Amino acid sequence: MLDSTSVQRHDGSTYQRPGIQGSMSVQPQDNAQWEQALTFIAVDRDKRAYSQLFSYFAPRLKAFGLKMFGNEQQAMEMVQDTMLNVWQKARLFDASRGCASTWIFTIARNVRFDMLRKKQSRKDELSADDLFFDGDYPEQEGVDSNEWDLWLLAEKVAPHFAKLPPAQRDVMEKVYLEEKSHQEVSEELAIPLGTVKSRIRLALDRLREAIDDPRS
Amino acid sequence: MIHAVKHHPAQELLEQYIEASLAPELSLAIAAHLDLCPHCQRVKMDLEAEAGAALVNLAEEPATATEWQQMLDFITAQPELAVSMEKRQPFALQIQNSEILLPASLKPLLQNKLKWLNLGGISTAKLAGEDQHNVSLLYIRKDSEVPQHTHLGLEITLVLKGKIYDEAGCYGEGDLLINTPDHTHTPRTMSEDCLCLSVLTAPLKFKKGLTRLLNPLQHLFY
Repeated sequence: MLDSTSVQRHDGSTYQRPGIQGSMSVQPQDNAQWEQALTFIAVDRDKRAYSQLFSYFAPRLKAFGLKMFGNEQQAMEMVQDTMLNVWQKARLFDASRGCASTWIFTIARNVRFDMLRKKQSRKDELSADDLFFDGDYPEQEGVDSNEWDLWLLAEKVAPHFAKLPPAQRDVMEKVYLEEKSHQEVSEELAIPLGTVKSRIRLALDRLREAIDDPRS
Repeated sequence: MIHAVKHHPAQELLEQYIEASLAPELSLAIAAHLDLCPHCQRVKMDLEAEAGAALVNLAEEPATATEWQQMLDFITAQPELAVSMEKRQPFALQIQNSEILLPASLKPLLQNKLKWLNLGGISTAKLAGEDQHNVSLLYIRKDSEVPQHTHLGLEITLVLKGKIYDEAGCYGEGDLLINTPDHTHTPRTMSEDCLCLSVLTAPLKFKKGLTRLLNPLQHLFY
């Protein structure tokens, strides 16, 4: 049974969304709660925590599936396979490696890849689990790019750095010269994390264009 | 000193990779590059985090209450799977009389004995692919030149061992070379043999044009 539940959004407004009656009285709203839900599922096979996660993610995964496949049947197949993986492999979720939403996205992406591969009946060894490795890479020892970095910075990047718009330059200096995390910069400048990331990207694009420009 | 990877896929290529929009053979080349490149591993994780945030921000797509309930009941009736997080490890393979460490991504394609085709200083062994997509290993003996060639699609070369040189510079372990149909060069080896993964693929569509497929500066910033 579905009922309509009013949910507080991040921007403070509310919207109506379907929920599954009974188990849906509590509405986890942020990643910490999804992480907790995944832990409960992993440890206790907690169906209540799972159905909350399900009612939040399934309709969004369906939207993602429709965008990717363009048809309802495959979108729903992707939702079911993805959410089944979440239920069966919750133990693999590791909050230290990323958000719950990130983990669920990567599962949906892998499910979609394998669905496409199956549809083309390609029976080679290229499977999503191998192509989109999600675990820890081994530590690379002895990687030393300092020399190259320094040369490149001095010769190529530095002259263009000063020409960046001040807002972008501030963020770039904090991230690359003071070696602060994106999160720290976001807090320090009181701007959203997304803004930090987009300023970095814009600045990198500018630097790249400046460096690529043969006249420079 | 281990060679520091200098030639990386552009962010747009990584974006398409993380959402599985690239041809699988091309994804393989990117996956093998990731095995060798800690910088791009971090970029990949960032891009996936962004994609996860975008998923959460999608407007919900409704289905009937019965449909959702049936799906939920089906799923929660399934048992937990015994799964464990694997650790990615390079593996050793005997190639042309020397043992070479290869990225883990290539392992599934290297289960069978390789059939080498020798052409002068160059040997190739096909790993996978059909039609316009073709994955092979390329072994170039020292002091050899790869003949100039053209192709309809993209040619992506990942250096696995040794070094290769062209007009633009030197490429070592982990470096990607991407060649478009309208861009010819003559790669060659010098004092050491070189093993590469070579992927031929159909042309890709990119917003910013093909010149941006490679980004030699990316590693600086992540």
